Amino acid sequence: MIARAFGVLALAMAVAAGIAVDAVEAATYRVDDGASTPLESGAVLRWREGVPSKSNDNTIEGAVAVALRLNVAPWINRSARLFLVLPERGTAPVKVTWLTQGRLLPGTIAPGNRVLVHAGPITSPILEETLTLKIEADGTRLPGTQRLNFHFEIDLD
Amino acid sequence: MWPTPNPTTATIAAGLCAAALATALPAGAFTVNITAANPKALYLQVGVGTFTGGNYNSNPRGTPGNNTTVNTVSVTVPANAIGSGAAQTMTTNSTASNSFYDGYAFCNAPAQLYIGGFYRNTTNTGAATLTAASPANLVNAAGDLIPFTQIRWTSSGNGDTGAQPFLAGTFVGGTQTIGSINRNQWAESCHTFSYANSNFVAAGTYTGRVTYTLSAP
Repeated sequence: MIARAFGVLALAMAVAAGIAVDAVEAATYRVDDGASTPLESGAVLRWREGVPSKSNDNTIEGAVAVALRLNVAPWINRSARLFLVLPERGTAPVKVTWLTQGRLLPGTIAPGNRVLVHAGPITSPILEETLTLKIEADGTRLPGTQRLNFHFEIDLD
Repeated sequence: MWPTPNPTTATIAAGLCAAALATALPAGAFTVNITAANPKALYLQVGVGTFTGGNYNSNPRGTPGNNTTVNTVSVTVPANAIGSGAAQTMTTNSTASNSFYDGYAFCNAPAQLYIGGFYRNTTNTGAATLTAASPANLVNAAGDLIPFTQIRWTSSGNGDTGAQPFLAGTFVGGTQTIGSINRNQWAESCHTFSYANSNFVAAGTYTGRVTYTLSAP
């Protein structure tokens, strides 16, 4: 009877511990990037082909630099994967390619996706980086000014 | 009897802790505004034009420029043919035969006058329209008149098989539509002018200017 009770207790604790670990590690957390700012007021996109071409290239493109300042203090000394996210809802059809200074990975993203920019330990509470975004859009589908609302997510390993 | 913990309670407690951790973290987003620069662009060439740095599809690409040249289209009617009704083919002083798009010999100057251009726009507000404004008459030094309706043209292009964007027609002595250029398209035609020679007119040099205008909505 006692042995059986111990067994139930041990099983219950293991289940509880397992759920607790899963609940923390499987979750995706949004990173505080409120201190990040574009270095210019916005990106002005110009026709890639100034003259209409027979290949029908209606791409407009431009670039903007962004000073990133990510608060990753909650995950200091944890191994994690960091993603750049561009939500699909309300976003114009664009392709964004970015270059970095080396702290984060360069990449390309389209609306509705998230792309890995860091995998490994979080070694400092604030992650600073400068992204140079090259933005391409369909010049026939970009009326007025559009907003691209990026954010970052972190997955703990 | 040893107490046994309730696994359900433990599960909920762990879940609440995780939720509290997630919601306690401040969230942010950085926003980049994107705007199309110079969303509209028009280029019209009637006769000679200017592209600097080569044709558009050359490497590096040529860039359209401004050219203020006003070309003439003319014909000298032999005295014994004046007013005969035999149409007189006109020629131009334009030297523009090649398209600035790719250098292709699209027209045959001086027999033909090159008319081409492009229209760029990021928003779909309709096609650009090419109009020609001609006065009612050509006039000589003595004030004698020839109606502009005596001048007509055909439209073609070397290697073209479909309809021309700038159709054949006859001047109306006013403003008329010559054709259109769809959004984000390049369009070109070669016009061959002729004088109907229907009227017996006094000798002299008769002149009049036609102004072509490409306008976008």
